[in-house]
Amino acid sequence: MQQKIKEQIDRIRSQGAVYVDSRWYPNEETHNLTMWNGNLKNASATRESGIGVRVLFKGAWGFSASSDINNLPGLFEKALDNARTAAERVTFPVRLAEKDAIQGSFSSPNRIDPFTIPFDQKVGFLKKMDDLLNQPGVSQRVADLTFIRKQILFYDSEGSEIEKNIIEVFPSIGVMGVDADGQTHRRSFSPARLGDTRGWETIDEDLFTTEAERIVRELNQVLTADSCPKEERSVILLPGIMFLQTHETIGHALELDRILGYELAYAGGSFVTLEDFGTLRYGSEKLTARANATVPNSPGSFGYDDDGVPAQDNLLIDKGILVGAITGRQMVEEANATARKQIFQGSSGANRATSFYRVPIERMTNINIDPGTDGTLEDIIKDTEKGIVLDGDKSWSIGSNREQFHFATEIGWLVEDGEITDVVKNATYQGETLKFYNALSAVGDESTWEVQYVDNCGKGQPNQVMQLGHGVPVCRFDNVRIGE
Amino acid sequence: MTEKIISVLTKLRQFAIENGITATFFYHEEDSALMRFANSAISLNTNEHLVRLDITAYEGCQRASYEMITNLDAIEDMQQGVLQAGEIVKHAQPLNYTPTIPVYQETFIEEDAYDPNLAGISNDEKLAYFNQAVAGLESDQVKLGGIFSSGRNILVVMNTQSEHALAHVTSDAQITIVLSHKTLKWELIAEQSAQKKDDLDPEKIHQELSFLLHHYQSDQAEQIPLGKYDIVFGPAAIAELVSTMNWIGFNGGMMKRGYSFLSEDQLGKRVLGSPFTLVDDPTQVETFPFSQDLMGIKREPFTLFDQGVFKAFTWYQDDADEFGAEPTGHTVMHKSLVVSAGETPVNTLEELVKAPREKDILYIPYIHYMNFVNPSKGLVTGSSRFGALLLKADGSVVVPYNVRLTQSLLDIFSEKIAWISDGQVAYNTSMSYGARNPTALIVPNFVCVKDLEISHANSSY
Ligand SMILES: [Zn+2]
Repeated sequence: MQQKIKEQIDRIRSQGAVYVDSRWYPNEETHNLTMWNGNLKNASATRESGIGVRVLFKGAWGFSASSDINNLPGLFEKALDNARTAAERVTFPVRLAEKDAIQGSFSSPNRIDPFTIPFDQKVGFLKKMDDLLNQPGVSQRVADLTFIRKQILFYDSEGSEIEKNIIEVFPSIGVMGVDADGQTHRRSFSPARLGDTRGWETIDEDLFTTEAERIVRELNQVLTADSCPKEERSVILLPGIMFLQTHETIGHALELDRILGYELAYAGGSFVTLEDFGTLRYGSEKLTARANATVPNSPGSFGYDDDGVPAQDNLLIDKGILVGAITGRQMVEEANATARKQIFQGSSGANRATSFYRVPIERMTNINIDPGTDGTLEDIIKDTEKGIVLDGDKSWSIGSNREQFHFATEIGWLVEDGEITDVVKNATYQGETLKFYNALSAVGDESTWEVQYVDNCGKGQPNQVMQLGHGVPVCRFDNVRIGE
Repeated sequence: MTEKIISVLTKLRQFAIENGITATFFYHEEDSALMRFANSAISLNTNEHLVRLDITAYEGCQRASYEMITNLDAIEDMQQGVLQAGEIVKHAQPLNYTPTIPVYQETFIEEDAYDPNLAGISNDEKLAYFNQAVAGLESDQVKLGGIFSSGRNILVVMNTQSEHALAHVTSDAQITIVLSHKTLKWELIAEQSAQKKDDLDPEKIHQELSFLLHHYQSDQAEQIPLGKYDIVFGPAAIAELVSTMNWIGFNGGMMKRGYSFLSEDQLGKRVLGSPFTLVDDPTQVETFPFSQDLMGIKREPFTLFDQGVFKAFTWYQDDADEFGAEPTGHTVMHKSLVVSAGETPVNTLEELVKAPREKDILYIPYIHYMNFVNPSKGLVTGSSRFGALLLKADGSVVVPYNVRLTQSLLDIFSEKIAWISDGQVAYNTSMSYGARNPTALIVPNFVCVKDLEISHANSSY
């Protein structure tokens, strides 16, 4: 098969293509188990295989994919044909940043392959969680396990050959309850990434047992709580919401394809311009953010991206100043040419596709915020006059250029004069991205830093869902509008 | 077109029966193509041919599924899938209800919404459509973006309970054209949904874009003050809001799980404004309808809201099984939602701008990134995008920077509805996530709602 693919790559090159690559997925499997109020509503396994081919011809891309690998010549021909049409409307001819030809492989670190665990054991875990969550005040309880295992073989016309074997594990539990006004509230838990691996061994039943008790307790506190006041306060974001704040207003805003206008027809653009790199004060001096694809235990680490560029750890925001972006080979070339200076030194290795039948686009790796020097969560609360501690993502809505946002959280704890007073329900906050990060007044230390995962980041047309991570500390932002 | 598929599924059915496995088969085949534009170039031209087979096995109250991407000639591969599903189901814990497996009485092939000419549209024709739709509108600063997504979609379902099959074949195109300003960052949109090739009308797109472009290039842009506005929603915004009701409103299963702003004691009561009537109408071919659902239940027009009065919840079979409800024929890939037209003869943006008005009117064509802040109250939030206009009482037009609305659906579709256009349009809401599922709603061209609060206004584009 490998030989046949290489022959086709050579054949299409000889027909005038500047660059050709293919990603062959011999096998991609998922297992999903969802237990809802004791019912195993979903017990499913999926398997797919196929091949995707990308051809660059006269400055334009063509792509074609099929689950049927028996007609490779036809598939490669179709990709070239698609590129020929695209070449009729070219404004900035695509070219690719330099990279080395790489013969490499990557396996995500895991001790226990979740696909070797008997089905009964997985269902047993869910049943145990379901029993723990079945408590007074809880109207709905959900426990979910999702596992992914895939093998990807990448070949390009520049001589790269890369094999990736990736396993992901996504466990979560959640509870819902109805308050006296008939409104539903929820509390949920998915574990932070601990240790150096990401297999079945990361599911710690003792931890889940403790956390199940906590979310039930906190749900019951929310059910009898007053509504969040409508006013301005300092907001203290725990990692359970800070990861999403980072995702939506740093991660997506710094995808270079968005910045260059390639997502304007759908996902949106970015308030960031090419002139901003090196000068824009994105946040206060306490803000240092990075795209780190070398965090071993996170789905945002994958060895090599789908351009065949190795994983990197790059600064995005350095003490508040914007210095980097999330990039692939195509976009850095166009950005440097458009700006008439070398903003980017090469691809940052963040071009990824969700499956064999999608093209790679700029995707987040692990978009992390460095821990700060403002101590523990307790220290930060003690140092806050009038604030609210927020946790759990309930709803998120962001302006099309990522310039403003509105988030609802699962729970809020009011802080008055350095102490937590009351729990509130229906907590929300909103703001403008730059104003918000410039009001970052405290960043927690290592003890507050956690890697959270995102398993459902959507982007692109045709749409792609991606898995990634965020290592974030507790952060406090001042003068934020809450309760609307 | 479906003959070979039905014959393969018949063999699989036989194989399952021979192996003592009770199973349902859900076959999905798509030929999808998407031409994507950005920065006035074709940024991506892609196609995919995918065959998906979902096999669900049952043992009493136990249920499990095995889903595969495969191809029609790989019968052995599919048979392995059947065995896999049969193996997993043994370990599935019993549900506390019995899931229904339909017994189809006859084979039913639905192809009314299929047009081979649209399904087979060529690269050159798509490019020509785009070139015509934006002829003369691009410049150094004004760039073209958008998609031409089109394809053929085949669904076939069968199971071990009977030898009959249901098939649903559609063709569709979803066209979005965006003009954006490179430095100012404003964006304008015009969209079209097609079920057959004759529906394609690039000239209409051209007119809409020209009109908006004229205003965006000649009128003053400003940050509008916070407060209450009379808002006119365009088709995209109306479709988005109504689709949300389908999710956190009249869906019976979601209601039972506490994710709805509607309750059973509201049935028969006026919950929304009297101008608002919403029907699930499978006779509308532009909605790529199912005239039978996947359980084989024949579907007729089904009223959800009649002049604001809430008439019924809809039920998926699995929810109906779990909660003991009567199935309503809504085990479908998508409904055929139709919002009734009103009486106001204002149907184009040009007519809206020219119409006399006593107050300022904020026109919001499109709501970006809408999310549910509090489903129990129908509270949603989202931002305006793509060509909003502030039509001043004095007849002038201002271009507003984007604004955020955080409002309850109960408020938006209340007696605050001032008027509704007397004309309708099919609006394509298909998502390109996962398997192709051509979906469209029929909505009025405009709905005007009085006194809605703007909670945030941008200070630039
Ligand atoms: Zn995302």
